[in-house]
Amino acid sequence: MNRQSRILLVDDELPILRAVTPLLRSRGYEVRSVVTGAGALTEMEADPPDLLIVDLGLPDVDGFEICRRVRERSAVPIIVLSARHSEKDKVQALDLGADDYVTKPFGPDELLARVRACLRRSPLSPEEQTGTLVRSDLTIDFERHRVLRGEEEIRLTPKEFELLSFLARHPGKVLTHRTILKAIWGPHAVNEPQYLRVLMASLRRKIETDPAHPKYVLTEPWVGYRFREC
Amino acid sequence: MSSSRLRDAVHLLLANAAIAALVALYRSWFLSPNPATIALSFLLVILVVATRGRLWVAVVTAVFATAAFNFFFLPPTGTFTVADPHNWVALLAFLIVAIVSSNLSSAARARAREAIARRDEVTRLFDLSRDILLTTESASALPSLARHAARRFELDTLALFLPREKGWERHEGGIRASSLEEGELDRFLAKAGGAIEFDALRRTYGGHQTRLGGDGVVEQVVPLRIGTRPIGLLSAAGPGVDPGTLDALAGVAAIAVERAHFLEERKSAELERQRAELASAVLASFSHDLRTPLTAIQVAVANLVDPEIGRAEREGQAEVALREVHRLRRLFQFILDMAQVDAGITPEREWVLPGDVVDAAVALVAQGLAAHRVEIDADPDREVEIDPRLTSGALAHVLENAAQHSPEGSVIRVRAWLDEEGLHVSVLDQGPGLDPADLERLFDPFYRGVGSSRHATGVGLGLSITRGLLAAEGGRIWAENAPPDGARFTILVPARSRAASLAPEGRT
Repeated sequence: MNRQSRILLVDDELPILRAVTPLLRSRGYEVRSVVTGAGALTEMEADPPDLLIVDLGLPDVDGFEICRRVRERSAVPIIVLSARHSEKDKVQALDLGADDYVTKPFGPDELLARVRACLRRSPLSPEEQTGTLVRSDLTIDFERHRVLRGEEEIRLTPKEFELLSFLARHPGKVLTHRTILKAIWGPHAVNEPQYLRVLMASLRRKIETDPAHPKYVLTEPWVGYRFREC
Repeated sequence: MSSSRLRDAVHLLLANAAIAALVALYRSWFLSPNPATIALSFLLVILVVATRGRLWVAVVTAVFATAAFNFFFLPPTGTFTVADPHNWVALLAFLIVAIVSSNLSSAARARAREAIARRDEVTRLFDLSRDILLTTESASALPSLARHAARRFELDTLALFLPREKGWERHEGGIRASSLEEGELDRFLAKAGGAIEFDALRRTYGGHQTRLGGDGVVEQVVPLRIGTRPIGLLSAAGPGVDPGTLDALAGVAAIAVERAHFLEERKSAELERQRAELASAVLASFSHDLRTPLTAIQVAVANLVDPEIGRAEREGQAEVALREVHRLRRLFQFILDMAQVDAGITPEREWVLPGDVVDAAVALVAQGLAAHRVEIDADPDREVEIDPRLTSGALAHVLENAAQHSPEGSVIRVRAWLDEEGLHVSVLDQGPGLDPADLERLFDPFYRGVGSSRHATGVGLGLSITRGLLAAEGGRIWAENAPPDGARFTILVPARSRAASLAPEGRT
């Protein structure tokens, strides 16, 4: 880290700000906090941070709207904080451009891990997009469409490879079912989650040593999937 | 009865007078008229009588006219003998034509009268059905049906009887109550079961029963049926109770009973739905209200033991955690109070001083009142018999509400006094007051006035819980604006009071 990463924290609950701000500062981040959605949008405009952490339930402009508006002009990673328990909210936030979510109540370690992950993969390196990716004993060669586990080559169908490389190109990021369906099958398939379920099952059978406890492609229950970060 | 007999007598008199007048006219005629002309003019009178009056009046007139025709106009005149056999034929023909034609016209008239009666009946039944369909209130449907039916059909007695688990439900209309007793009703209903057949002549289905009461009133009892299943009884008494009409009336009443039942079911389904909606709203609200303090506490407490966080910053963390613990505690109280209201509370009354109740309430929400000055004015000389926990719990929500809706540093005045009604406690704040639009819904769950804080605990539930807690003691709460100050909430708990004992317990 050549310079302090700068985080903009948006939550209308003062106790949260008062507890989370010192936590992030102690880890070497520069933290600014605002309590309104409108304030957040102004700050984003005036001095874009490296990471935006935003609560979904703001009194004025809600978190969904902030995700949408920020995404229109910026690729800054967004973590949403949600006190809502419904998965629908998380999916909506992710579909609107959020990179990750943390559900209240959360512990400090959980938040710090998400913050680290989000900052690490930003900005996306071009090598990651085209070269080779290695996760423990799994090697993905994007150029040659080859996948190796250890020394052994795994034979994937074109669709399976497409799915694996789409997930692997966004390591650590939660990809919603909808996003994946759209990327692999096209916009008409967004309401056909069974396509993804079937393909994921066959992909996992091939790449995972224990498909019941996957190591590379992790399930985010009711939301989507995430490729293992490191 | 007597009026129709009188009318018949008048008809008879007029008809015979007309015949007599015709006789006199023809007798004094300057030229002797043709017997055919005379017979035809008599026939005319008879036909008029037949269309206006009863058949027997027409027949008597016909016989009288025949006699007069014979006596005055058939030779030899002045006697009842008839010389020419041709005239016998003419006389007989006249009599037969007179009787047959009056019979026909009388039958036509009866049919017309019947048609009018049916039309009236259909109109009344239609009106009644409309009354039923327009009723949306299930509780009032059957009493109003009984009243309307009695009025529209001019019945002295009209009663609907519905069997209930225990005994009978009665709805009476009309000026005289039915004298049927429960034992009789059971018997009538038992007889109403079984096969039913339509009686075309009386236009009725079976099961009609007549009952002569001790007071000489004859009541017609008709079963109310849905399909063939009897669901109740209808009893009617009064002039002109036609079995067919009663049957139709019973049919309409049966529909009304079914409809009332249906409305009742729909209402309870609606209530159930509202309850479920409220429950899920409460759950969502509490879930949100719990998550925020829990998160703050979890992070703040972790910060306290985090070696990477500086000493100065750690101190602030303890305060955050403590504040949020208070918030959770208050929320916990909310949940308990709501559960209590839901489960139904039995108040436990004891003798207490009003001031103690107020102090207890202030202590419950001390955290929320920290930024305000609370001035208490309580009657120190009298004790009141109330449930102190319930009352102070309810008052605490009112105090908290006052603090949330008035500026920090302002004064909240609490006054407690006793009168013959019971214990009054008023809470007056220096906030902006109440929007008149809010007044109606102020005590509804989840209703939040304009400009209220989002962070209030148990958002929008406090006052509805207050109302619930007070209701358990038979008490109530109301709100008003008290310019130049803000809003004034007053609670009233009906209770007995007495002079405080010299050394009141619980006060040191």
